[in-house]
Amino acid sequence: MELLEIEEVRAGYGPTQVLHGVSLAVAEGEIVSLLGANGAGKTTTLRAICGGVRWDGAIRLSGRSLRRMSTEDIVRSGVAHVPEGRGILTDLTVAENLRLGEHLRRDRSQVRKDYDRVFEYFPILRERRSLSASTLSGGEQQMLAVARALLMRPRLMLLDEPSLGLAPLVVKSIFDIIRDINHTDRVGVLLVEQNARLALELSTHAYVLEVGRVAVTGLSADLKGDDSVRRSYLGY
Amino acid sequence: MQEFLQQVVSGIASGGIFASLALALVLIYNAMGLVNFAQGEMAMFATFVAFTLIDRGMSYWIALPLTLVIAFAGGVLIQRAVIRPVERAPVLTLVIVTLGLATLINGLAGFLFGYVPRSFPSPFSVHTVSVLGALVSYRDLGVIAVSAIVLVLIYLLLQRTTLGLTMRAAAHNPDASRLLGVRVSWMLALGWGLASAVGALSGIMVAPILLLEPNMMQTIIIYAFAAAVLGGIESPLGAVVGGLIVGITVNLAGAYLVGGDLQLAIAFLIIVAVLVVKPNGLFGRPSVRRV
Amino acid sequence: MLVAALFLLGLPSVVTSFQSSQWTLVLIFAIAVMGLNVLVGYSGQISLGHGAFMALGAYTTAVLISHYHVNYLLTIPIAGLVTGMIGFLLGVPALRLSALYLALATFALAVVTPSLIKRPDKLTGGVQGILLVPPDPPQFASSAFATLTNGPQMTSEQWLYYLSLGIGAVLFWLAWNVIRHRPGRAMRAIRDGEVAAAASGINVAGYKTLAFGMSAFYAGIAGSLFGLATGFVSPDTFPVALSFQLLVGAVVGGLASIAGPLLGGTVMYWLPIVSSQTISSQDWIPTQISSVFVKAGPAVTYGALLILIMIFAPTGVVGLITSGYAALRNRLRGAGERGTGQMPPDPQTV
Repeated sequence: MELLEIEEVRAGYGPTQVLHGVSLAVAEGEIVSLLGANGAGKTTTLRAICGGVRWDGAIRLSGRSLRRMSTEDIVRSGVAHVPEGRGILTDLTVAENLRLGEHLRRDRSQVRKDYDRVFEYFPILRERRSLSASTLSGGEQQMLAVARALLMRPRLMLLDEPSLGLAPLVVKSIFDIIRDINHTDRVGVLLVEQNARLALELSTHAYVLEVGRVAVTGLSADLKGDDSVRRSYLGY
Repeated sequence: MQEFLQQVVSGIASGGIFASLALALVLIYNAMGLVNFAQGEMAMFATFVAFTLIDRGMSYWIALPLTLVIAFAGGVLIQRAVIRPVERAPVLTLVIVTLGLATLINGLAGFLFGYVPRSFPSPFSVHTVSVLGALVSYRDLGVIAVSAIVLVLIYLLLQRTTLGLTMRAAAHNPDASRLLGVRVSWMLALGWGLASAVGALSGIMVAPILLLEPNMMQTIIIYAFAAAVLGGIESPLGAVVGGLIVGITVNLAGAYLVGGDLQLAIAFLIIVAVLVVKPNGLFGRPSVRRV
Repeated sequence: MLVAALFLLGLPSVVTSFQSSQWTLVLIFAIAVMGLNVLVGYSGQISLGHGAFMALGAYTTAVLISHYHVNYLLTIPIAGLVTGMIGFLLGVPALRLSALYLALATFALAVVTPSLIKRPDKLTGGVQGILLVPPDPPQFASSAFATLTNGPQMTSEQWLYYLSLGIGAVLFWLAWNVIRHRPGRAMRAIRDGEVAAAASGINVAGYKTLAFGMSAFYAGIAGSLFGLATGFVSPDTFPVALSFQLLVGAVVGGLASIAGPLLGGTVMYWLPIVSSQTISSQDWIPTQISSVFVKAGPAVTYGALLILIMIFAPTGVVGLITSGYAALRNRLRGAGERGTGQMPPDPQTV
């Protein structure tokens, strides 16, 4: 039984069908990347997992079906979703955003330790603690989003385009931290990325979506080495 | 000068009442982008509940918090039963629903409690005390004190507790909040409950001054609108400041300028002036609200 | 349409004079609702204050007749024009208000109106109001009526009925033409998306203030007729509830439809009266519940019915009939985005 199993999922918005039968799996503590061009359905897949869009097929978290669960209940079962646009609550302060990440947790002493880790990774968040989250730059907001997701101590993290619009150095440090979280906390990660190269370096398995279907799948290492796949599907 | 001071203090007391009802309006507006036209009637009904409790022998200081709790429950109930089915409807539909609610509650109050005006007890005597040379009634001071306490408590709830944080998050960005495990729908219901309780407070405080009857709050709601609009309909702080300004202004204008019967017209002018000149009010954010 | 016309024309001959006067009020409300329909249903602006415009029209007529002895027929268009102009002027600041704020401001206007009327009491008669004598029918009409119906001479109630009917028909034709041609299309474009409409070159400000003025004009005429028909104007005859009832009449009758206003007027007049009776006659509602409604009085039933109607049929009864129930529920539940008071697209174009 995998951490996340998606079988033959179809989904869409109203009359527009976006996913036409997507299947993928994420094992416990594994990083899986979900690649593909714009409009291929990557974001829709993540939304389906969190109940943000109607879907047919099967989606299971540790064997338990996610059908009919509300978004907040899915999140409470251990899924952290960092959406495109980061989902930062800009009317609140940085500290308040972080607090919302851990407000459901009972293990308060561990939470304190996690805060230390978060501030170690992202010192700027400690500095800007009392300021409104809207004062953060794009890269800093992404850090906040990832930090917040860390504080949620999820079993599965869904990341939608974490590199979007960020400077290469910032992207590198975020990806390092994701790798670290995955390694230390054994958090499973489903990573949606347009930056295929980075994603393939980070992940063990990869799926390439094209027009709502899985076109290619395999070990990231293999896909990285396969020139034809890279050229046809990954754009480099 | 003394009389002026008295009018100002009186205005502050009225301001406390307006601020409480305005705060209720702001809480719901923040949660849903909706002005609850039934807020005044809900407050009136809660005041009748308090009256009934006191009439049956309960002490004022027990009836008051109990009524607030009942009002809270009522607000939650109304949100679940009436508002939630039409949550995503256009503004006009929601406006009409709250107006329908207002009509219903008003009629219900008339049916249950009758239209005969009742006098409502106040724990504060109307005797006056001299403050800075002006004669100020204990009742006014009491209203100011109670309003201040409740408003501070609400502030602490919203800003210093986790529950308040999740309520604010749900109001500002429901989608992002869901992704953090916040039960947004219930937060909305709590928002209604809280607004209902705060509104009830304003009713209980104004009832000793006007007489308690089903149409009691119909003018107060206009003053509360003025306060909320002036302060910025999204800002709880604005509701308080707006309430004070409206209270003092209307009182002074009534005493020195236009006479008591046109005080309501002054409030109307304030509304129109603010909406035309600076629609976001004193503390409102200029950002466009998410649709 | 033809059936309705015949029905309306023939009515006074078959019912009592009093009942005619009831239907006169229905027609008067229908006129006001017609105007409000243009504003809310077609140009998408909410007004909770049209009772104030009716009051203005009624008082214009009353003051002109009692202080200046103007012929009553002349006061009707004057009342309309005065109110229309004020409405047009008020429409200008209204442009800057979003839907919700406009509702708020007009609501405040409705609440303030009675006290504004009471103030200049030399002119308006203050709290006591002004009494008007219902006008007698002109000789030609009275004789014609008597001949056609083989009965007594026309009473003044019946004359007022026909007067209202005639004026109503003219105004209906006027509204219909406005809606059908460019102004109507422009307004609908504005209602459905102001930014897009402006981008297409539509003079948004112009049409919105036109809609305001027009709806005020109608309300003014309705108010004038109202004063003549009831014979009495006072501040208390124009409470907030009236503005609300007008809006309800417009919504329940069906926004953005033409047949709606007549239904709306009917609803406005009859609903408060009939609602408690209807409820108690419904066998499927347990007596405990229905007896509460009956005793509680019309307001409770009215409010409850209104809420239910908005939950299930937000484009009104007419819309419900034409669009079908399921389509409406879907539109209400899922698709609506709350923006600037946009209504669902009108289900029928006449």
